[in-house]
Amino acid sequence: MRRPSWRVESAPAVGGVGGSRALAYVPDDGGFALYNDYAEGVSVLSTAASRPEDEPAVFWRADRDRVRPHTLAPATEIDGYGIFTFPYGPISMGVPESGRFDVRTYGERVLGLVPVGGFKSRRIRDAVVGRPVVDAALLVERMAGNFSAAHVSAFLAAAESAEAKEVPTAEYWVRGLAQELQRIYNHLHLIARVAEAASQNVGLAQTHALAEEVLRVQAEFFGHRWLFGALIPGGPARRLAPADRHGLSERLGHLAEEFERLWLLFLESRTFIDRIQSTCPVARSEAIRWGAVGPTLRASGVAWDDRLRIPVPPYDDLFVPLPQESGGDALARVTVRAEEIRASFLILEQILDRWAAAGTENEPAGTPVAPGRGIGRVEAPSGDLVYDVRVTAGKVDALQLRSPSRANWPVFAAGMRDAVFTDFHFALESFGFAFAETDG
Amino acid sequence: MDLLGALLSAAVLGFFAGAVLSLLRRDLGYATSLVASVLLLVSAVGALAWGSFTGLAWGGPLGEPESLGLDGLSAFFALATSIVWIATSAYSLAYDDRSSPSLAFCYALTLGSIALLVTSSDLLVFLIGWETMTLASYGMILQARGRSDRVFSAAFVFLAFGEASTLLVVVAVAGLRVMSGSFAEVPVAVAGATASVVFLAGLIGFGLKMGVAPFHMSEWLPIAHSSAPSNASAVLSSTLTLAGAYGLFRVLSLLPSPPPLWWGAVMLGIGAISVLLGALFAAVSEHTKGLPAYSTIENNGLILVALGIALIARADGLTDLYVFALFAAFYQALAHAIAKTALFLSAGYIEHSTHTFDLNSTQGRAKDADRAARLGTIAATLSLAAAPPLAGFVSEWMVLEALFQSYRFSPEWVQFVGLLSGAAVALAAGLILVAMVKFLGFSFLWKPKPSATRTRARGLAGPIGAVGAVVLGIGVGAPWLIRFIAPTVASFAQGPVVAPVGGLLSVPDGWSILSGSPFGILSPPVVPLGIAAGAAVAFGYYLFGGRSPTRRVDPWMAGSPPGRDGETYTSFGYSTGIRIMMRSVLETREVRTGTGVGDPDAATPPFAYNVDLEVLDVFKIFYDGLVRTGDAVSSALKSGVMSGRLGRYLAYILVVTLAVVIYVAAAA
Repeated sequence: MRRPSWRVESAPAVGGVGGSRALAYVPDDGGFALYNDYAEGVSVLSTAASRPEDEPAVFWRADRDRVRPHTLAPATEIDGYGIFTFPYGPISMGVPESGRFDVRTYGERVLGLVPVGGFKSRRIRDAVVGRPVVDAALLVERMAGNFSAAHVSAFLAAAESAEAKEVPTAEYWVRGLAQELQRIYNHLHLIARVAEAASQNVGLAQTHALAEEVLRVQAEFFGHRWLFGALIPGGPARRLAPADRHGLSERLGHLAEEFERLWLLFLESRTFIDRIQSTCPVARSEAIRWGAVGPTLRASGVAWDDRLRIPVPPYDDLFVPLPQESGGDALARVTVRAEEIRASFLILEQILDRWAAAGTENEPAGTPVAPGRGIGRVEAPSGDLVYDVRVTAGKVDALQLRSPSRANWPVFAAGMRDAVFTDFHFALESFGFAFAETDG
Repeated sequence: MDLLGALLSAAVLGFFAGAVLSLLRRDLGYATSLVASVLLLVSAVGALAWGSFTGLAWGGPLGEPESLGLDGLSAFFALATSIVWIATSAYSLAYDDRSSPSLAFCYALTLGSIALLVTSSDLLVFLIGWETMTLASYGMILQARGRSDRVFSAAFVFLAFGEASTLLVVVAVAGLRVMSGSFAEVPVAVAGATASVVFLAGLIGFGLKMGVAPFHMSEWLPIAHSSAPSNASAVLSSTLTLAGAYGLFRVLSLLPSPPPLWWGAVMLGIGAISVLLGALFAAVSEHTKGLPAYSTIENNGLILVALGIALIARADGLTDLYVFALFAAFYQALAHAIAKTALFLSAGYIEHSTHTFDLNSTQGRAKDADRAARLGTIAATLSLAAAPPLAGFVSEWMVLEALFQSYRFSPEWVQFVGLLSGAAVALAAGLILVAMVKFLGFSFLWKPKPSATRTRARGLAGPIGAVGAVVLGIGVGAPWLIRFIAPTVASFAQGPVVAPVGGLLSVPDGWSILSGSPFGILSPPVVPLGIAAGAAVAFGYYLFGGRSPTRRVDPWMAGSPPGRDGETYTSFGYSTGIRIMMRSVLETREVRTGTGVGDPDAATPPFAYNVDLEVLDVFKIFYDGLVRTGDAVSSALKSGVMSGRLGRYLAYILVVTLAVVIYVAAAA
């Protein structure tokens, strides 16, 4: 097995940002390359072979060697008197998942940081091979429990595209509904974790209570707190009859009100704001250079959202707000998330309101990128999630994914340079990472 | 001349004989020093127990009688230095493996000079001893291994400060001679401007040797920069500074009493600043000898603090506080000298077993040391960190108790000085804890890396362990020791004193130290009794109850395999927090060199650069500037006056001659 390697490639300026070098994560067989030129508003998805020679690039290759510990950002060679590597994790207080951070330091300050993954691999990517698509989906949604709707939606979209299969439009609407609900849950969860790091105990408890309420709503209307099994085409019955939709709408209205009250309290807390302001700043140029995605990217002043750039039903039919901040720090990331909670409530309202518009017809089949191979792409809570699936005779043949966590790790590592230890939790929690989806 | 006098004379002469014998054989010099130290110890104990006595006597060149002898004050310093020297001499027998006898020669000569100046009964012999001591210890520093230009410059700094000190001491002695009309150590009655000149010259002159701020460079630089031999470092840091303290105590005891209020206040201020700076620099030092050297600055500062409190209390007529603070000053001097000896000896042990002075590279490689060396170092570091029931704990408690009573001072501005000094000493107590934990943890306690090579240093452990036992002994036996050194305080105060010792509740009378009437109380012997009682219960349970098989595991490293190279906390990292917090004092700055530094594209890998976090001693910058200015002035004079032009040179001589003639004529 080859270890993944980072390589510097010469390339023209990235998206109008000066500099002649860009980071390339060189793909090998079976992987795919992804290039986002955010400034130009172009997204190119291609296999390595088809990449134009002069194309500036930020590439990820699907990690082939996921099981053994491997670095998720370029290594740092920082040396000096008294400097050492402080291994933080995989089993440490404050590291919420099994993952390690190799912190290069002379004490107190983070001179360089490298996230190390591979401790949480459950080999889901291998386990799905040879299974029917529906069975595989049940495994894929366990990639990261709190992102299940995004993962299964992206996977199904990829598989359907690979099989050139028509899907009822209503399925897309259900996926949209579930994804927005789960986005609200995740953003609330993230705010709670940042509040916990800042010792905002009241804010923590109230935000958790709200997040729990969202989980209960999911349980009530989709039969599972984490939406497991709920998005399988023709899967378990969903309680989305007109009367139920009305009830759901009312529940969500209450939640939105509660959230507004709560967010106001957060904004009034100097302790909370002080701890996250100017923490782990990611400049716009850095975000583009490293290929950041999701709220992290939007907090650095880049307007990019898959729901708007690559619209699929129901988003092509809805008004999708695009919150954006320019600070690039933890405060900006948390603010974008809070704004996105509002946006998701608005989107949910539209979905429930215009449910009937989905109709009963089928969506036309997508074009496979190659025979039997499809790409599915959704805006997960933490950003752009891409699945690359090969299907042969109704069974999954190969699966690769590029999770938002995978894309944002190098950004986090870059932002943490020259920070102090105590910033770590505010910084980490503000990105919304999951080692689970990185390791698979 | 009675028996004690004969012993004392034999001791002093013995050191000089040792210096001569060392030229024949190295070991002979150290062995003779060891015997002479024992004799000195016996005569010091005798003087404290049965009163002062005189030994060898002769007629001085100026027609005044001169003699060797011990009174209460000198007996105390003879006691402290001889305990140190017994340990260092025994240690030197195993430590010094050089082919040249120079180190042994200078060592014995330094000891002899200090013994001479402590036991001399008149100031002229004191001066001779003082100057010989400076020159002999200059010779010891020159014996350091390593880059010779570094060694030479360090030794030169030592000599420069040493000669400045001698000049000022000469001024002080001359002032005393003017006031009393004799070189004999007799108190002068009249206060006035001359007395203040003597006080200031003495404070700065002896302060230079004690290494107090702002002259602390004279203490740390020769030891740390040249990495002077460990036995020499111990003698320099423990007893050379003790000689400075002796000189200061002696001159103060001769000056009029009660002293002006500002004397004590100045001394208290200088002491507090030294305490803080010494502790701060010790906490951020990574040098196995530099760290103890900085700690010496801190401890000598504590002596000045206690002495300053005593002088203020005397001026304010607070007799109980005066006596208590004096006891604190003496006890502090003793506690520090002995613990610091063990620390330098263990630095030599680390040097022998790991061949490094860098605490970052030591990384626990001394952990497999002989048990005696480990226990001795543990006792010494804990004592210097003021942990009960060790000597340093008692002395720190006494100094703080004295400081707490500064509210009794008048007028208010002196209270304010006391308040600020108290805060500085308390902060320093925390900082020195960091320093000592670092020294101990990174040398003797840490589990060594599997790859680390280590060798035992034969014959060095015994003296370290013995000194550690003494540290424990004088800590636990503090009440009795304090009563024993009462003649010293009486000799300084020129009158009978009552030792601040008593009892409380069910603690027997005489087991406790009392600070003030009544203020605080501490019973050093009860502390270890309490610890022992607790330990006995636990040991009994271990023996008869819950004895379970011993389980040995690797330290938990967050789930990663432990002990990988480069993944262990460095001693530098341990104190970086202090470097950053105190950056306004330490002038902390980060220096980055290498590719990609300062380059906006540096975010692109590979990151490869060097980061160094540096701290500076602002006073060293000051002295460096002074040296540069001196160089500039002297070369300007050289080119201006001694330019080789005869006319200009003759004109210069003419002007000077005329000036002298006019001055003499005017004076006549």
